[in-house]
Amino acid sequence: MNAQTQGSQFSIRETFAGRHIMLVGGSGFVGKVWLAMVLQRIPDVGRIYVLLRGKGRSADERFEKMVNEGYVFRTLHETLGDKTSEYISRRVEVIGGDVSLPDLGIDPETARRLHGKLDLVVNFAGLVDFNPDLRLAAGTNVDGGVHVANFAQSCDHARLVHISTCYVAGMRDGFVREQVEPNRSPNGTEISAHEEYENMRRIIERTEAENESAETEAHLHKDVIARLSERGYEANERRIRDMVGRLKRKRLREMMSLAGTERAKELGWPNTYTYTKALAEMLLSERADELPLTIFRPAIVESAIEYPFPGWNEGFNTSGPLVYLAQTWFRHVPAKAGNPLDVIPVDEVCKALLIASAALLRGEHAPVYQCGSSDRNFLPIDRLTELSALGHRRHLRDHGEGAIEQLVLSRWDARAEEPEHILKIGNIRRVIKQVNRYLTHGLPEKLPSEVRDAADDLAKTTGSANRKLRQIEEVLDLFQPFTHDNFLVFECRAVDRHDVAEPEFHFRVEDIDWRRYWLDVHMPGLRRWCFPQYENKDKEIYEPAHPFRMIDVPEETAAAANDTGT
Amino acid sequence: MMTDKQTAAFFRAEGVLVSQGVVHAAAWMAAQRAGMRERAFRFGQALLSAPVFGVLGQTDRTLGNRVAHLAYRDMTDDRIHVLAEEYVEDILAEKILDSGLELIRKARKDGHRVVVMSEGIEPIMRPLVDHHIRGVDDLVCNRLEIKDLKATGRLLDPVIGGYEGGRWLTSYAAEHGIDLEGSIAYAGHAPDLLLLSAVGKPCVVNPDFTLRKAAKEADWPVMDYTA
Repeated sequence: MNAQTQGSQFSIRETFAGRHIMLVGGSGFVGKVWLAMVLQRIPDVGRIYVLLRGKGRSADERFEKMVNEGYVFRTLHETLGDKTSEYISRRVEVIGGDVSLPDLGIDPETARRLHGKLDLVVNFAGLVDFNPDLRLAAGTNVDGGVHVANFAQSCDHARLVHISTCYVAGMRDGFVREQVEPNRSPNGTEISAHEEYENMRRIIERTEAENESAETEAHLHKDVIARLSERGYEANERRIRDMVGRLKRKRLREMMSLAGTERAKELGWPNTYTYTKALAEMLLSERADELPLTIFRPAIVESAIEYPFPGWNEGFNTSGPLVYLAQTWFRHVPAKAGNPLDVIPVDEVCKALLIASAALLRGEHAPVYQCGSSDRNFLPIDRLTELSALGHRRHLRDHGEGAIEQLVLSRWDARAEEPEHILKIGNIRRVIKQVNRYLTHGLPEKLPSEVRDAADDLAKTTGSANRKLRQIEEVLDLFQPFTHDNFLVFECRAVDRHDVAEPEFHFRVEDIDWRRYWLDVHMPGLRRWCFPQYENKDKEIYEPAHPFRMIDVPEETAAAANDTGT
Repeated sequence: MMTDKQTAAFFRAEGVLVSQGVVHAAAWMAAQRAGMRERAFRFGQALLSAPVFGVLGQTDRTLGNRVAHLAYRDMTDDRIHVLAEEYVEDILAEKILDSGLELIRKARKDGHRVVVMSEGIEPIMRPLVDHHIRGVDDLVCNRLEIKDLKATGRLLDPVIGGYEGGRWLTSYAAEHGIDLEGSIAYAGHAPDLLLLSAVGKPCVVNPDFTLRKAAKEADWPVMDYTA
């Protein structure tokens, strides 16, 4: 046992043996890796109840699809082979539900059954878009968190792990401790969690009321008539009503997104995501006396270093767009040299989460666990910008399309620059937009057909480049608080309080060689799993040799059989 | 008298195992820096070492090495390592001298511990030795001083290529229990005289003018080969 640990050494496998867990939000990036890791490495775990929304199909079907098509379960499939269905069915039960509903939308009979059984509830659910519709963010991130806590509290002996984010720290600089500041926003404003919750509800109601006002209706009505006449359509009452309805819904979403961002910034959070996650933390931490719980805050979760396999990643993560940008002709990444980008591999997150969860089950937990790299293995953003450029160089030398990419683009180094650099993406986009406008509307009418065709082709190219750059610009704006504006180092020591027996669950962020990780693990992972999505290409679907089918296993049989292991 | 000590074969990489020297490596690396201004400036700086080697190379190569490696100043450790791999694969691997490899094979067959000494830097020489030369027990090469993950442009002592080679060899032999009398050394530059003199079986390979003359007077074997 090292000097910093508290309590005796414990085994993750022994702590989880026979424990029944509810997994909420298990269809996200981290949730799936955690589930696969638990199934693979803790065969004696009790029953895992996976709460899933059906989304147009049964929850069971959705779970089967998730396990069969996701590469995250490949290692498990390969290990289990034709035993996959039986093995998983014995350990997993899928529960239809929705965190935004009271009692999680679980049917009462199932809920009663779970109340007596659950030992642990792990809540991964969260809307991770940075500036979503405030209603959705409130529903999932705040109400969802509270609903899960209510459910856990109504159980006989369940404990709760609530997954949050390090970035609840908001827009400030410095060292962020592993604690919840219950009555203070990042810019120092005194707030009460309950009052702020009520305030957020009032903002939602006010925005809805404003959208329903006669004034807005009249304005949209006038706008629709003008549009219809511009397009030469007949402006009949039904068509007008439909269009006004659509526009109102669209306007409401935009207003809600704006209202959330405004309130977040007023209090010192960069976006609605961190504001709502922070609010949920504050509300939950007030209940720590009634419900044993811990808050787990990962930083920027990125490609797996080892499990399920090196490089596994998915979705629109934080570093992905920055790395993607570094392989284009655009070379100025808006970032402040020396600021950390707190990247942490997803499997390290899952290991730390298992340690925190085991400690919670044993009653030895800390109130908050942060899980990042800045405190233990600092990675500055200018370093990863250069590593990204070097990684692209290595890739394009062999795989570039043609000599221009292999010889020129490969050496076109991206670098961290101030956001107001003359060659910032916004300025480049504006120039391209002007060129596009001139090619589309400004060319003289009498032009040879060859020139006209060439101009049309170029107009299409510049139009598409403009759209692509706009998307990138929006993403960079969203990330700027993390890449440029704030210098944040997240304390990550609570996990060291626990001396874990099994080496495969040790949290070892210090051992990461960032150069090897970035070039040989993360970038190839992004290239395979994430970039195709940025380019609107289809993602790879896994096809297991023995597809998983949920089979009926009586609960008692399942529990008894779990100790047979794999 | 028979001894139970191990014998070694010492190879100076430049001129014996590879036909490309450190000026080329430093100039190539400088030309790959981020930013055109930096590329031009550091490239020029690396080339400055060529006349220094030209004037002093047959007496002491330390200064030439120090000047050449100034081109690495402010280059990140990451960039050096990634570009070094590229340099080895694209350029240096093609400059390996087959006859040099043959000498290594022979040395191993004769039971010698194989030690390669190079003026090049570790990020270049390590992948070259591991992936292309093989059969090497120890690699000793120049080391860049790295601070805050960036090269300062300084070489750490001892600088390989100067007269330090002979002194280093003596302490290496003592540390590893090497019988120098039964050992061989292959080298081609005049400053390697001390190195060659320290072993019982010196062999001069592709020598410069001064070393060729010295070898003739000392009656050392001389080998000439090219790629």
